Amino acid sequence: MTAVVLGWILPGLGHISIGQTRRGGLIMFGVLFLVCCGVLVGGIDAVDHKHDWLWFIAQIWCGLLVIGIDVLNQLFIVPLPIPQRATLVGLSHANEIGTLFIAMAGLMNFVVLLDVLHATRNNDLERRVLHHSGGDS
Amino acid sequence: MLAWIPFFEPMNSIQSVWYVLLIPMAFGIAVVYKALHEITYATYWRCVLLMTAQIVCGIAAIAFAIGFFVQFVIPHLNSP
Repeated sequence: MTAVVLGWILPGLGHISIGQTRRGGLIMFGVLFLVCCGVLVGGIDAVDHKHDWLWFIAQIWCGLLVIGIDVLNQLFIVPLPIPQRATLVGLSHANEIGTLFIAMAGLMNFVVLLDVLHATRNNDLERRVLHHSGGDS
Repeated sequence: MLAWIPFFEPMNSIQSVWYVLLIPMAFGIAVVYKALHEITYATYWRCVLLMTAQIVCGIAAIAFAIGFFVQFVIPHLNSP
């Protein structure tokens, strides 16, 4: 259960904590890649628990990173008057794709959290290579 | 574009080519999925690229099919 919590706090950390270092690193790279692409395309407005709360349910599975982005959005963009907000809020496809990227990252990390529940300790990718090639460790 | 602040302001200039972003999205999904399902690391990146291509081709095929249906089939059905 600790691994699941760690995997939610930082994607991939759950697998790393049970000895699956390479698998966890790849998961971390994949999820953070999706989140970074989403924020790059949609800006920090891509995460908004007030106006896009249904998307936020999917995005929240990325953990503290997404909560941090939402806090930044609520602090720096939402309180601004509309003329100033207009340049900081994603329009049409930029907002949709940015939101979708982070939602996909969240849903993939949800699958990762389900996997880490049943994962066995030290069953990492490189160890399986050694078993298949007849290695001695 | 010159005053654009990355990771803060949205990339609104990408509006006209938004569908290209399907490629990095498919890549990110494939990286995570294959990290869970692959047995060996030796073929990992090859499988990631293959899955990325499969997702992109699959969605492009669905887009063409829906486009064909909307542009040709529905007008044909509506014609007297």
